[in-house]
Amino acid sequence: MSREKETARREFVSEAEEIIEALSGDVAGFETGLKAGAVKPAVVNKIFREVHSLKGLAGMLGFEKVSTLSHDLEDLLDRLRLGKIPPSHGLVNILFESIELLNQLVASISRQGEEGEVDVVPLTSQIHTLAMQRAEAAEDVSLDWLDLDESTRKSFTEYEEHRLLENLRQQNAIYGVTVGFAFDVFDAELKKVTDALNEEGEVISTLPSSGGAEPDKIFFRLIFASNLPGDKVEALAAPFGGGVQPLLKRAFGPPTLPAPPPPVPEAEETLGVGDADLKSISSTVRVDIQKLDAVMNIVGELVLSKTALLRLSRQAASEHGSTPLAFELVKAARTLDRKVAALQASIIDVRMVPIGQIFNKLSRAARKISARNRKKIDLRFSGGDTELDKVMIEEITNPFLHLIRNAIDHGVESPEGRRERGKPEEGVVELKAYQKGNSVVVEISDDGSGIRPERIREAAVQQDIIVPDAELTFDECINLIFKPGFSSAKMVSDISGRGVGLDVVKANIMRLKGSIQVHSEPGQGTTFQIVLPITLAILQVLLVESGGKRFAIPLTSVSESLRITPEQIKTVEHREVYHLRDQTLPLIRLERFFNLAAPESPSGTTSPAAARNGRLFVVVVQAAERRAGLVVERLAGEQEVVIKSIGTTLSGLAGLAGVCELGENELVLVLDIGSLLEGVLEERSAAAAPTT
Amino acid sequence: MTPETPHAASILIAEDSAPMRNFLCAALEDRLDDVEVVTAESGFAALRLLPSRSFQLLITDINMPDINGLELIHYLRENEHYRHIPILIVSTEASEEDRKRGLALGADAYLNKPFDPEALESAVAPLLGRKEKS
Repeated sequence: MSREKETARREFVSEAEEIIEALSGDVAGFETGLKAGAVKPAVVNKIFREVHSLKGLAGMLGFEKVSTLSHDLEDLLDRLRLGKIPPSHGLVNILFESIELLNQLVASISRQGEEGEVDVVPLTSQIHTLAMQRAEAAEDVSLDWLDLDESTRKSFTEYEEHRLLENLRQQNAIYGVTVGFAFDVFDAELKKVTDALNEEGEVISTLPSSGGAEPDKIFFRLIFASNLPGDKVEALAAPFGGGVQPLLKRAFGPPTLPAPPPPVPEAEETLGVGDADLKSISSTVRVDIQKLDAVMNIVGELVLSKTALLRLSRQAASEHGSTPLAFELVKAARTLDRKVAALQASIIDVRMVPIGQIFNKLSRAARKISARNRKKIDLRFSGGDTELDKVMIEEITNPFLHLIRNAIDHGVESPEGRRERGKPEEGVVELKAYQKGNSVVVEISDDGSGIRPERIREAAVQQDIIVPDAELTFDECINLIFKPGFSSAKMVSDISGRGVGLDVVKANIMRLKGSIQVHSEPGQGTTFQIVLPITLAILQVLLVESGGKRFAIPLTSVSESLRITPEQIKTVEHREVYHLRDQTLPLIRLERFFNLAAPESPSGTTSPAAARNGRLFVVVVQAAERRAGLVVERLAGEQEVVIKSIGTTLSGLAGLAGVCELGENELVLVLDIGSLLEGVLEERSAAAAPTT
Repeated sequence: MTPETPHAASILIAEDSAPMRNFLCAALEDRLDDVEVVTAESGFAALRLLPSRSFQLLITDINMPDINGLELIHYLRENEHYRHIPILIVSTEASEEDRKRGLALGADAYLNKPFDPEALESAVAPLLGRKEKS
């Protein structure tokens, strides 16, 4: 494939994916409107325009199957938006099937450069059949009922004309709202007006006209349909300086028609030549994430240089006193510090994308799963604006999909089962995202049968995960579902029985330095709560020393640090604990966890440094609901680091997130508090497991 | 400049699909000498660009998100400063009725999507008062 063709193909795939994503969300919105009995014409028109764009694109690049399918869809949607066929659930199903097929075709084009063996004919036949339907004959209305000049009337598209007639059929009044704005702000201002008007009706057409006597202005005549009386429409338009003119010549009912507004000034003077940029006005660019990763690595190196420079400047000031050179060096180091921080923040910001981007994918998959399960599911999303690093978004899609799949497959009962339990036939599966401090929390919940701890326990005993008489709390029992190989499903279904289990979901979340917890109430439902860091790229860490080695603890996991005496450490069941504000905090000695050379000390439990001054440091760390205190010899300060993956030698060790390089060319291990705490809990509950 | 040398021409493209804009831009620059192509990703962007220079051709799609192609054509034809600019509509077959309306409003020609670069040149060259390249 030539370079140009390859570039065109990549551009097509990228644009097509974006269109299909948008399409998917809009069709879901259409379905919601249909269920509520209020399909928004603007949504239908948007779906039509998306398919229209895809068709134009595919045709231009010779992708025949995409082109054929989108052509037929465009025709169907055109008939729908013009009121020639009625909206129906059958149509929604066809739209979703089409999106699925278009996705397959685009994926094939992306992978192998061609559309592959997918057959679009069966679906296009269904589309043709549906397009033959007829909408019910509506009461006859006419544009002659409106006081419109010939020029305005000619500028209506077929769709706008249909929307006008449809509003007349619904006995809505039609108004002309005239607004004028300065040329440099008109689009933003006009959006405010149309948004305000669309709250109370439908802006059908937006006709621009020149400023005339006011060459720096541009005027717009909005054709607006609403059931509001004229004085209310005037009140709506007044904050924007808009004039309102009633256009309906015959009255349906009682709308009070206001006095005509001042006419739009005629064009008399030459329009001023602005200094607008002659390039495309688009303000966004698409960037390959690998390129951003490369920039991020450079920023990481800059952070190291900045740290070294700060250290050297302080050293120069302390060794040589307040010389002009030392002063300048400190000043330069501080400036660099500020600029690197700003650069870093900007790059992280560029990498951020709204989590809502994956909602459409999840929604499509959920639809399919619920159809195959013959379950009725109301899938709800909220918090789509919550932003996460693009890389994280890519990585969490599959774990989220698995949890939604589980909720539909195992959580929500069948419609009959729900009826018997007095629940509505339609189950609710919800994904809710929100930011909390430096983390993003995602909750995936269902209102199904919940997890029954006795069933989990029974299955865990059968699978030799726990001994029959193990003493487990309600939460410990439920958390057994995350054990490798655990399955409580009596029947391995077609869907959830395949692929990864919850242990893999958990491993994936933990690989992203996140944590997952499950809460369940038998009969009421289950919620999985996932906490993720906003980005993996740069970490703020607390440096500590233990067993003569330095470790980095991500600050997001640190609650507080304490200084205690060895005597304050108590022992419960041979484990060290510390009573912190009426809570028993398990203690972990890092040098023991990582089997580092045990430091010699009189007591055998404290390090030489601690033994010397009789004090120990405890860093209280937390991952989801688990807390523990890390006992260390020294706190060595906070620092920003760029985290890199660990080499193969250490990759099997629990408790490690990666490695970072400090300014002095020293490599330091970064702790993964989630897996470290889990490792300790594993060890502490080992007594409960059967011996092999 | 000899009479055979085409005059420099500025073409404004109003099209909301980025790949389609790129295709139009590349095809026009490849096939026509001495043209400058300016692109607008929406009808609003086109409105803002119009006063910035003298355009010899507007190429517009019909279905666009803010103001559509017909509204843009109406604006040009009612404005004495832009009334003379030839207009080419690029649209799909489904917009046939709208294309007719565009021609009635004063557009000069139309081209059905999809089209190839030769067809584009054939449509554009006469509107710029040029002969097609052989």
